[in-house]
Amino acid sequence: MVYIMFIFLLGLVLGLAAVASNPSPYFAALGLVAVAGMGCGVLVGHGGSFLSLILFLIYLGGMLVVFAYSAALAAEPYPEGWGSWPVLGVMMAYVLGVCVAAGLFWGGWYEGAWVSADEFAEFSVFRGDIGGVALMYSAGGGVLVMGAWVLLLTLLVVLELTRGLSRGALRAV
Amino acid sequence: MTPTHFAFSSTFLLGLAGLAFHRTHLLSALLCLEGMMLSLFIALSMWTLQLNSASFSASPMLLLAFSACEAGAGLALLVATARTHGTDRLQSLNLLQC
Repeated sequence: MVYIMFIFLLGLVLGLAAVASNPSPYFAALGLVAVAGMGCGVLVGHGGSFLSLILFLIYLGGMLVVFAYSAALAAEPYPEGWGSWPVLGVMMAYVLGVCVAAGLFWGGWYEGAWVSADEFAEFSVFRGDIGGVALMYSAGGGVLVMGAWVLLLTLLVVLELTRGLSRGALRAV
Repeated sequence: MTPTHFAFSSTFLLGLAGLAFHRTHLLSALLCLEGMMLSLFIALSMWTLQLNSASFSASPMLLLAFSACEAGAGLALLVATARTHGTDRLQSLNLLQC
């Protein structure tokens, strides 16, 4: 269990180093999918299975799908992956930086055992993170309404930005 | 520093470095921004899971909602750039010259 968590954390850091080394956006989106998968594994290992499911569905299934087909706007005849030297060099520099930082910050942690979020004595469907999210609908109703309003506002912002023919917010479009 | 804490902190800083030093495409910068949001989601979820504060688990959900808004606005700007300049390459954004 500890080794699996280490592998997920390592995949998280290496995956985002692969995205940050700026390959062609096709490969960067693929790297981000891998990073999100590793992050979901980290969350599940800590007992937050609902938050991990939310990450998979909303982030990967909603947002990254949109990014993946927006990568068609960044089409180029010879996409640069991690096989080409500039991208690989930058990635190795980032990994080296992370290793140096790990050497500086490593010592001093003693709790190496990853236990679940909530230690219930009996079996229950009601886990910690699910109950906490349910609070968003009861006590946190105001923030929920505000979040829905912000999402509606973003829709209108997007429509105004891409309206076209100088009728929207950008006159050049 | 705890390995988990180090992992998401270095993930955030790597995303920030990728955003700062992006070379060719505007979409690479947006993807690094999404990576930063992902690391913040994992950080907030770790807060609620490690410290057993279940009522805090609404905050990663709200972070995700607002980061969806930000991603939508960024992609709309990308589409507008592709419409006016024909591509999202940063070399073509050269109207303002020092």
